[in-house]
Amino acid sequence: MAPVNRTDQLPRLLPGTAATLNLDEHLTRYGPLPLRPAGDLIAEVRAAGLTGRGGAAFPAGTKLAAVAAAAAAAARPRASHRRRTAAAAFIVANGVESEPGSGKDAVLLARSPHLVLDGIAVAARATGASRAWLCLPADKPRLAGQLREAIAARARAGASSVPVLVEAIPGGYLASQESALVSWLSGGSQQPSFVPPRPADQGVRGRPTLVQNAETLAHLALIARYGAAWFRTVGVPPEAGSALVTVTGAVPHPGVLETPLGTPLGTVLAQAGLHPAGGRRGTSQHGPARRPQAVLAGGYLGGWLAWPDAADVPVSAAGLRRAGAALGPGTLAVLPAAACGLAQTARILAWLAGQRAGQCGPCTHGLPALAEAFAQIAFARPHPDTLGWASQLTQLLPGRGACYLPDGGAGLAVSALRVFAKDLRWHAGHGPCPPAIRAAREAP
Amino acid sequence: MSDWLRVNPIACEAHGVCAELLPELITLDPWGYPIVAPGPVPPALASHARRAVAACPTLALLLHHEDGATS
Amino acid sequence: MTAALTGSAAPAAVGAIVVTSKTWLWYLTRSTGLVALVLLTATMALGLLSGVRWEGPSWPRFVTGGLHRSMSALACAVVVVHIVTTLAAGFVPIYIQDAVLPFGSAYRPLWLGLGAASFDLMLVLIVTSLMRTRISYRAWRALHWTAYLCWPAAVVHGLGTGTDTPVRWVLLLTLACVAVIAGLLGWRLAYAWPR
Repeated sequence: MAPVNRTDQLPRLLPGTAATLNLDEHLTRYGPLPLRPAGDLIAEVRAAGLTGRGGAAFPAGTKLAAVAAAAAAAARPRASHRRRTAAAAFIVANGVESEPGSGKDAVLLARSPHLVLDGIAVAARATGASRAWLCLPADKPRLAGQLREAIAARARAGASSVPVLVEAIPGGYLASQESALVSWLSGGSQQPSFVPPRPADQGVRGRPTLVQNAETLAHLALIARYGAAWFRTVGVPPEAGSALVTVTGAVPHPGVLETPLGTPLGTVLAQAGLHPAGGRRGTSQHGPARRPQAVLAGGYLGGWLAWPDAADVPVSAAGLRRAGAALGPGTLAVLPAAACGLAQTARILAWLAGQRAGQCGPCTHGLPALAEAFAQIAFARPHPDTLGWASQLTQLLPGRGACYLPDGGAGLAVSALRVFAKDLRWHAGHGPCPPAIRAAREAP
Repeated sequence: MSDWLRVNPIACEAHGVCAELLPELITLDPWGYPIVAPGPVPPALASHARRAVAACPTLALLLHHEDGATS
Repeated sequence: MTAALTGSAAPAAVGAIVVTSKTWLWYLTRSTGLVALVLLTATMALGLLSGVRWEGPSWPRFVTGGLHRSMSALACAVVVVHIVTTLAAGFVPIYIQDAVLPFGSAYRPLWLGLGAASFDLMLVLIVTSLMRTRISYRAWRALHWTAYLCWPAAVVHGLGTGTDTPVRWVLLLTLACVAVIAGLLGWRLAYAWPR
């Protein structure tokens, strides 16, 4: 396997084979992990412009600096009213990946575990953290076993710096939310909490905690080795670097791909075998069409893009946001022509409503109301009042909860009403279309 | 020096006292939860805003001051 | 004792009560006790009304909260007068520590003790509420639930050691207070658990 450094070629994160890289293979491919001072590391990450790959796309350097500063402040004797213990800060590597349809973190952790573990070590060095948790979904015990193996291998080789505990996280959609995860690790519930204070200032057990997606930590490990300039050799500024995306749905070759940020959507989906031009001919989605009709970008809290119209949309946080969708955890779900986008949206909204924590009034009441309205739109004959109410709900939800669930649900609904406007008119005139009727019969 | 109003949505239990005391900036949604007008609190309404913050039964209404302090 | 209340001119041969220059203090003790009962009941009622988010056409919800706070301060002030006049009157062997240390008095330790306990809780309720922004909301709320101990203790104290309990209108007043709170409590519970 060729070493990765000094090249602007992909793949960077994934080994290019389906097998797991053991520690030796990992070191052969990537070289040793240099021990750099914390200040240097943070500066390098800032210069690289790395953003979080878990969904929020928050600048990683800023978060790292915030945790480092909070940890330094907590360590000063006069500032801390708690007894001074060794634990100044914690790292939480978030591999819970609760987004349905996202598999990138699982694939990354399975194939390049040492890259993520390197990232944890780098983050610990940069923040002065004394302990890390690597959080995985509870329904992947085999993956957890593999990670524990990898951690043990590092310990045997003398390559481990900070103790890493593999933690199986149960639960649903909100389980991977930053503050919910911190709450769980602190022995509390899996409910998001109100910020401020952010986990960077007060996280697990009240200590400054860096919560970072597993993929982000992998990028961190590469930046620590090869530097910010190398990181920026791929990608379209200001969003630099590469990202893992999960392509699912009506594509010949679904799976996890690595792509430079800013690559046009059409180019990314072509890697999965989907081509905008050519392919089979088709008319509207309610005719005997074969072509995919839309792409859901950014997961259930992202947005729809019409296909093939959106083939030029750059796959980046800013590019997708401008197009009315989102990068989110990098999921691209392709909707086949034989499906009804409104029905799919209704089902997703119903599922999202079921996942709500029930803490915040607007979401507790508003999200099920939006799901109900969309169910009427998709599976009954939408009345103008229903459409008006749905529209009103999409404006009542954003920014009024403690987490992104209501915002994302509203965004999804708005994009669906825009992208599937033609279907909406058809439903208003004729009631549910055949694909919608089929979808209504399927189990949720 | 501008102040910013914010609601802690977890603490809020829809008592609606804030909307009564600061109707210029706070309205209630169909379920009784507050919708705060965006932007800083106009200086003329600052004392009313402070009163609304103090009157919230669950201390869910917060006033962020520009210097970082919160009430 | 009844004779003393109705102001009959019978000489001091009723129990051990002797009409002295301090009788007005004793009357003040009894009257402030009853006024305190009404004010405490009103405070409690307003607290319960706040919980059910009641509002009337000319009664916005902020009035309930504000009135609850002022009423509690007034009730406390009246209770302090009640305590001070009891001590000053000297008609019963009560000392200042019995006002805050419950169940240790020589005179009717149980009934009086409930009054002292109620007063202690009142102080806790008021002080913690004044410090509401400085303590965690959860802590404040948990402590505020002691109101459900404070008010009944005051009522039972009144029934147990109240000089005027045998008087019909006093009894009816007490029952009315209990009925109001019981009714509002039922409403409050129904609001929280509509099933």
